Amino acid sequence: MRFLWKYLSKFKKEVALAPALKMLEALFDLFVPLLVATIIDNGIEKSNMSYVLKMSLVLILLAAVGLAISITAQYFAAKASVLFASDLRKRLFFRIQDLSYAKLDKTGTDTLMTRMSSDVNQVQSGLNLALRLLLRSPFIVFGSMIMAFFIDWETALIFAAAILVLSFIIFGIMRITSPLYKNVQRKLDKMLSRVRENLTGVRVIRAFRKEAQEEKLFYKENITYTDAQKKAGYFSSLLNPLTFVVINLATVFLIYTGALKVSSGALSKGSVVALYNYMAQILIELIKLANLIVSITKALASCDRIADILEEKDEPATLNTSAVGNKEGISFDNVSFTYENAGAPSLKNIDFTLKPGEDLGVIGGTGSGKTTFINLLQGLYTCSEGNISVSGADPVDISSGERKRLFGLAPQKSVLFSGTVRSNMQILDEDASDKEILSSLKTSMALDFVEEKGGLDAVVEQGGRNFSGGQRQRLSIARALTGKNRILILDDATSALDFRTEKLLREGLFKSKGYKTLISVSQRVSGVMGCQKILVLDNGRQAGFGSHEELMASCHVYRDIYYAQFPENEELGRSEAFV
Amino acid sequence: MNTSGKTFKKLLKYTGIYKYLLLLTLILSLVISFLSLYIPMLFGDAIDLISGKDYVDIKGIVSLLIRIMVFAGVTALSQWLMNIINNKISYHLVKDLRNKAFSHIENLPLRYLDKKNTGELLSRVITDSETLSEGLLLGLYSFFTGIITILITLIFMFSKNVPVTVLVVLLTPLSFILARFIAKKTFKMFKRQNELRGIQTAFTEEIVGNQKLVKALGYEENVKERFEAINKDLTDAGLKAVFFSSITNPSTRFVNSVIYAAVAFAGAWMCISGSLTIGGLSVMLYYANQYTKPFNDISSVVTEFQNSLAASARIFELLEQEPEKETGNEELPYCTGDVEIDKVSFSYDKSKPLIKDLHLKASPGDRIAIVGPTGCGKTTIINLLMRFYDPDAGTIRMDGKDIYSCSRSSLRKNYGMVLQDIWIRNATVRDNITLGRDDIKDENILEAAKAARSYDLIKRLPLGLDTVLTENSLSQGENQLLCITRVMVLRPPLLILDEATSNIDTMTEKKIREAFLKLMEGRTSFIVAHRLSTITDSDLILVMKDGSIIEQGTHKELLAKNGFYRELYLSQF
Repeated sequence: MRFLWKYLSKFKKEVALAPALKMLEALFDLFVPLLVATIIDNGIEKSNMSYVLKMSLVLILLAAVGLAISITAQYFAAKASVLFASDLRKRLFFRIQDLSYAKLDKTGTDTLMTRMSSDVNQVQSGLNLALRLLLRSPFIVFGSMIMAFFIDWETALIFAAAILVLSFIIFGIMRITSPLYKNVQRKLDKMLSRVRENLTGVRVIRAFRKEAQEEKLFYKENITYTDAQKKAGYFSSLLNPLTFVVINLATVFLIYTGALKVSSGALSKGSVVALYNYMAQILIELIKLANLIVSITKALASCDRIADILEEKDEPATLNTSAVGNKEGISFDNVSFTYENAGAPSLKNIDFTLKPGEDLGVIGGTGSGKTTFINLLQGLYTCSEGNISVSGADPVDISSGERKRLFGLAPQKSVLFSGTVRSNMQILDEDASDKEILSSLKTSMALDFVEEKGGLDAVVEQGGRNFSGGQRQRLSIARALTGKNRILILDDATSALDFRTEKLLREGLFKSKGYKTLISVSQRVSGVMGCQKILVLDNGRQAGFGSHEELMASCHVYRDIYYAQFPENEELGRSEAFV
Repeated sequence: MNTSGKTFKKLLKYTGIYKYLLLLTLILSLVISFLSLYIPMLFGDAIDLISGKDYVDIKGIVSLLIRIMVFAGVTALSQWLMNIINNKISYHLVKDLRNKAFSHIENLPLRYLDKKNTGELLSRVITDSETLSEGLLLGLYSFFTGIITILITLIFMFSKNVPVTVLVVLLTPLSFILARFIAKKTFKMFKRQNELRGIQTAFTEEIVGNQKLVKALGYEENVKERFEAINKDLTDAGLKAVFFSSITNPSTRFVNSVIYAAVAFAGAWMCISGSLTIGGLSVMLYYANQYTKPFNDISSVVTEFQNSLAASARIFELLEQEPEKETGNEELPYCTGDVEIDKVSFSYDKSKPLIKDLHLKASPGDRIAIVGPTGCGKTTIINLLMRFYDPDAGTIRMDGKDIYSCSRSSLRKNYGMVLQDIWIRNATVRDNITLGRDDIKDENILEAAKAARSYDLIKRLPLGLDTVLTENSLSQGENQLLCITRVMVLRPPLLILDEATSNIDTMTEKKIREAFLKLMEGRTSFIVAHRLSTITDSDLILVMKDGSIIEQGTHKELLAKNGFYRELYLSQF
């Protein structure tokens, strides 16, 4: 709840005005019986038809004023709830952008998605209803009770008791259903994840003919979800009938004591009628409120889920420009890293120094820790032990904007973002000119197919799926190359290219020298051989560090990889004289 | 008929399944409405028995109050039952719709799915169906009780005074016309809001789905800006939709107040002319008020209902997409591996033909490699073999049988496929390997894992086969080992390896190749590869360029030809 006020305070005006105007409207409603009374007393009794007409017109005027007030109230309520929801969505999205890798690992994508959409929508409609109706009900309920005390304080105690019991019922049911509604949202997360898997893995599912089975699994999850909804529904459904019973019991009691009091002369008949009317008033309002409570409970449950993300203490690195750039080179000082909840470290005792101007090759088998190494280098995870220095700064302290200036990453899984080729190329350097972009496209051997698709304005669909795997990789490299003087990181970024394209690309890359330092991660010796220094990783350990020649002489892991990859080289050399 | 009407009609078709429950809820709301109008009357009778000091009929009052308590109990019980039934109807209706949408997606052609945003489809199956459920729940409840309350009140009113009741009935359509007018205007606004929601979901899906890359590229600030732009559009559209639809309630209430004033005026006139008593007028006013209240309730849920309709329109649009049709019903038996591609032409985009008059014959046990520069159409051949796409012309035969006369399922049963795009789901290692088939024993899985060299990896995981994986728990290469194990378990007669080893290091790849070689014995295999070193021992190598096969033969023959293949091959070193 505290969380709610914190973000709602931005819309103080709307949040206050909407219910205030609604109460004003309710007051206008109270004038109507008075006017009818004067019609009866002054119009009908005195057979004054023009007075009746005048008062009937006043009734319509009153309704018109009520309409104006009510529409204004609706406007403020709509504005507050829509703006609040959009503000929440924005905050959430921005917050997600600032989450660290470790936090992202922990939270997971699907639940973030549900919170962004379903939960925020829930909050929006809950708030809208609350602003329009929530204050009106207590206003009338307590108002009626106070009026009852003025009439006869002893009988009014029945009102107090009934309201007490009703509060217990309302808050009790909210307490029970709140975790149930949270559970509903959790089930929704799971279902979302199932549908997404089916969309991304559609080829695999069809190839393995698992469509029918996937349907069955989905049906099962769908039923679990529906059951969770129903369970919460059972309790929510109690609210209205219980309210009805309590109020009617209270009324029965009221009439009974009233009758006894009238009989003994302690109360007039008119007072009993008035008390009865007030009780009826309360019933009407509470039935409305009961319908509202479900929406509010759901909205509060969703609010909690949003708060979980927004209130997460996970500060992004602050910009520290002065620390970066006054020194050159990269050093790892006895660095180890263990993923959260992992049994064993993924990197252990990595220790080396790369001098300015040297390029680094990183080689190792599947699961040897190459990508973890790259993530640590860019400050995306905090190392568990040791120190890392990139251009004189601890990479963890590098802000997002600075990271963009410092590193150019072409990742293993090359993903493009929807937009145009140009917008993708300008991700790292927003000011990159067409000339610069074209030159990096040329270096990454992507110019031909980009021109074929319509040049820099060619549309890129979500994930870049209108480009083939190899094309995506080349564009991803071009993206990393655009802009100057970066530490260019190729994380197995050429795996979808045929040898010929890859060879031409590497040659062009070396020739263009459009980067400060090249860090080339590969499983292939040919991918790292051109670098001055090579880091050999084997199951998270540093198996060797040095030049190709040094490693061939001293590192048996490297030698094994080399001979595994180049046996044909020698055979070919013998059979084909010109190689 | 307008679109919202059509959508509603379709929705009704789905509701039809629950007609007995609907009937029950109708009866219950009848009971509730009648009793909740009847109880105040009994209270009135009780109050009439209180005449003044010493003139109170306590006995009569007590007997009335006991009846009230019984009726209140019955009403409450009926209410509870009705709520539960309404929940059941609306939840199950949405569940059915969601199931249908999901099943439909499983059967839609890839030509459609490849073009759609994942996020947009997700939002249709999940979010839109949620919106539908919300509106429907409120709508059902208010609609039934509203209609019945109106009917019962009308009966009471007619019994009291006919002319005033007729006046009220004549004026009522005003309220309806107004509500309808607003609903019609706002339907478009809700549609727009939901469209923008879809766009935002798609964008969020794209960015949050690749959140790590976004961070690594320092793209956060830019996507924040883009998100804000979409969010602003959505906010504007949302504000319009929510505000204009919320005008309905005050507006109909205004019309009702006008009706109330008209009753007061007409009633007073009748009182003066002597055809109505003052007591009669106050009763008529009370009922006029009672009578218009349900209209308010109904009109207030009309907005929710509008929103539901807009959402269901989007779901129906998906459901009405033409599913993939079977071109034949015959069952393709396990084949020996004789595959013939006969004069096949194909294009993704009709204006840009990709594959022209392709011809290829594979004999049982052949290992056929398809090589060529990126984008030459290698993967397209796989799409055609697996029937993810069907060709524009020509046919493919297996063991002499036209595959288009057989079911897709029986065709795909013949293939084991490993793709470059690795797909690991959020489930245990076992589920990822068997894909949920529980008739595969653990020993068979582990045996296959040994062959696919994923055994050590599985043993290393904290819970072995029971370890739950997420997309990022293992490296790409490790994930691929598991994908290969998947095929290893099944041992199908034909194999398709589409760049299957591109994410695996050469040391491991060598081991996997040994395993594959064993698996490929006697099986026809299609191998798409860009690393030529891995396919030199194939029986036939097809060299593709720009959608055509430009050279074919064995490694030795092709090298001797001194053509494109030789150029490709030599460039690796």
